[in-house]
Amino acid sequence: MNAQLVALAVFDGISYAALVFLVAVGLTLVFGVLRVLNVAHGSFYALGAYATASVGGAIFAAGYAPWLAFPLMLLAAVLIGVLVGGPIEKFLLGRIYELEDVLQILVTFAVFMILEDVQRLIWGGQPFFEATALNQLGTVTVFGITYTVYQLIFLPVVAIVVLIGLRLGLRRTLTGRLITAVTEDREAAVTIGIDVERIYLITFIIGASLAAFGGALASATTSVVPGMGADMIVLSFAVVATAGLGQIEGAAVTALLIGLGRSFAVYLWPELEVLIPYIIMFGVLLVRPSGLFGTVQARKI
Amino acid sequence: MLALHDVTVRLGGVRVLRDVSLSIETASTIALIGANGAGKTTTLRTIMGLTAMTGRIEFDGIDLTAIAPSRRPKLGIGYAAEDRRLFAGFTVEENIRMPGEVARLSSAELTRRLDRVYDILPELKEMADRPAGAVSGGQGKMVALGRALIIGSKLIMLDEPFQGLAPVLARRYADALRTLRNSDSSLTLIITESNPDLLRKFADRTLVIERGAVRDARPAGADVV
Repeated sequence: MNAQLVALAVFDGISYAALVFLVAVGLTLVFGVLRVLNVAHGSFYALGAYATASVGGAIFAAGYAPWLAFPLMLLAAVLIGVLVGGPIEKFLLGRIYELEDVLQILVTFAVFMILEDVQRLIWGGQPFFEATALNQLGTVTVFGITYTVYQLIFLPVVAIVVLIGLRLGLRRTLTGRLITAVTEDREAAVTIGIDVERIYLITFIIGASLAAFGGALASATTSVVPGMGADMIVLSFAVVATAGLGQIEGAAVTALLIGLGRSFAVYLWPELEVLIPYIIMFGVLLVRPSGLFGTVQARKI
Repeated sequence: MLALHDVTVRLGGVRVLRDVSLSIETASTIALIGANGAGKTTTLRTIMGLTAMTGRIEFDGIDLTAIAPSRRPKLGIGYAAEDRRLFAGFTVEENIRMPGEVARLSSAELTRRLDRVYDILPELKEMADRPAGAVSGGQGKMVALGRALIIGSKLIMLDEPFQGLAPVLARRYADALRTLRNSDSSLTLIITESNPDLLRKFADRTLVIERGAVRDARPAGADVV
């Protein structure tokens, strides 16, 4: 493997890790606060991708300015978080918090299956590809490799901004501090007057929006096809489990680890590409059952 | 006034509170005495809305049972759990302020209340910037009291506050309670305790809870066996 291939693998890994992080951090945030492992999280990713690619395709065909691709992604993410994520938490998950974990997972799995069919109903089975955002930013040549600015710089910067924004938001804003308090001790939160149901709803909408945002950003780099939500949720689970549930910075580091592992496998041992994230997860969990950054008892976000 | 009418609480099929009816006058200090497992904690938790109950609870003429648990502190009810339940990731002062922030008190009002907490419990000011997860158990009890004081303008419920306190801290805690009571004549205080003698002089009225039933203790002179 020569230097250029190494650089290429690193670039691939970083850009992929940025997308995986956005989805995984939403999943880990929702788990940290609601204590529900949300399988339907992958659907928000797919919905974000479909909404961006289809609406983007339509408006750019109608001659609208290409830079609109970027606000469109943000808008799609927020709308899906609020309009799809919000009702799911309020009317469905809100009723199952007292149930056993297994039942909760089954319910979110059912939601996932329903949303998969909803995607097919709306967008059919054909792939969508809408790369306006990618093309807008052009390319850059680093170490003799020409790579898209969108993937090499824009996606990682967005991921870092989200990571810092989440950390600051949880620490500095009142809602963020209340989310943290509910994560630490739900009952104590109630006794000091925190409306836990509202915090759950807000957190779920943020988590769902992050997944949808990941999908929206991914839609510029890949074909949007049925099943993409399933692939992503499985990968996000691997990231979140490897990092330790509820760990935000941990999810970033682990996404990078798994992203790089996967992209190196593509060049070195392509047969293992799909397997690498799980090999990493398996190896980590064997040694540290609560994840790289997880602690046995403490609930953290 | 706080009144419980036929309050029954079942936990895992066991009746922990049995048709408890009692009324507590405003501005009184109540000692709720009972052995471990008698139902003291459950009584306070039920008033806070943390248990499934039947019956009715009234507070200042309001049907408390119709009010969501998270809205009850805003009525002026402060609660300190036996096991402190501080938010370990926040500083001591952040813990104390939080109920006031949640209730959207103005910053002037919050500062005023915080200053009052520091007047009553000056040791909290010294550890204001320490992480709540790093204070000792006894100090944590003080922080929990401070947190209850911020929001509990009418009623403060303290669950076994003296449990596990070193004697010197226990005296400090009792002094703080005395200061609190002297500084606010309209405040109702409910304190649970397993040692019947500890609060005898301090409380206006002593209630005894036994196997989920509550009765008034006999007057001090009368319970000599």
